[in-house]
Amino acid sequence: MRYVKWTLISLTVLIVGAFLHYTLPQHDIVRIVNTYQERQDLNDWTRIFWATPDDQSTGLINRDVQFIQAVKPNGKPMVYRNEDTGWNWPPYFKFDTANLQTKAEDLKSTAENPKWVVVTHYGWRIVFLSVFPNAIDIEPVEGPDVTIIPWFNIFFFVFLGILFLVLRRMWLQFRERMIDPVVEDVSDAWDRVDERADRVRGNARGLWARFRNWLDTWRGRPRI
Amino acid sequence: MIGFIRLAVLGVAGMTVMYFLLSIYSRSVERERLEKEWDERHPGGGDAEARDAYIERGMQEYERSLRHKLIWLVYVLPTLAVLLLIYLTNRT
Repeated sequence: MRYVKWTLISLTVLIVGAFLHYTLPQHDIVRIVNTYQERQDLNDWTRIFWATPDDQSTGLINRDVQFIQAVKPNGKPMVYRNEDTGWNWPPYFKFDTANLQTKAEDLKSTAENPKWVVVTHYGWRIVFLSVFPNAIDIEPVEGPDVTIIPWFNIFFFVFLGILFLVLRRMWLQFRERMIDPVVEDVSDAWDRVDERADRVRGNARGLWARFRNWLDTWRGRPRI
Repeated sequence: MIGFIRLAVLGVAGMTVMYFLLSIYSRSVERERLEKEWDERHPGGGDAEARDAYIERGMQEYERSLRHKLIWLVYVLPTLAVLLLIYLTNRT
């Protein structure tokens, strides 16, 4: 039973953690080298990794997607997709894909004369499934070593913590005011029934009553 | 447009649930406070009817208080947060 419990707990933590890791914004410092647009097939299960930029895109089996190619300071390549999220999940409310693509185009640079930028994005790069993170914002930075404070994530987790505490407090208040009095009433009534039964049984105490009496001493009740 | 309607409907539904939970909680806390206040002033318990009347009056006062009205922020703050997010994501 303990293994089942811990398996369930670790599975839950893993799924929630992965979900948050996929959905919350992250920052990469990269150098943009190129942008391109490519038609993508959307008719298999990896559809879940692509955005639904507008209403008709839910019915399309393929559509053009814009991409931003970048190189990290350690020389490794990174490719972002650039899609509107619109009013859909995840709630970034991104409508400025065309502007972002223009910005990326403007900030292209070469290895000899690098222009470093910070790309805010969500999502994962999974090479085997052709999954790309979605770029949300691009801002030029001084160099590849600048420190970025993830303000949004700090606010988000503080808010999540407060929400959790508020809900917990609500539940405790509800239990104290609504459930405990009822339980107390019931257990009081039950105790009275028990006592009367004991009295009735008083004279004809058999082995069972004596055994129960002995059991009760474990719960701090005196032996009658 | 469908996306916007879906967001609005789900958002209003979620905020309404939160609004009711918070107002029930806040009312319960206020009632508990009034009960404790009365019990403190009347160590013997006092008149049961007067106690009910006192609590009832306190609750009516609470309904008119600022704290009760502040619960409406449950609708205001998330809406402002969404507007802020839209601005932050799409500014050039």
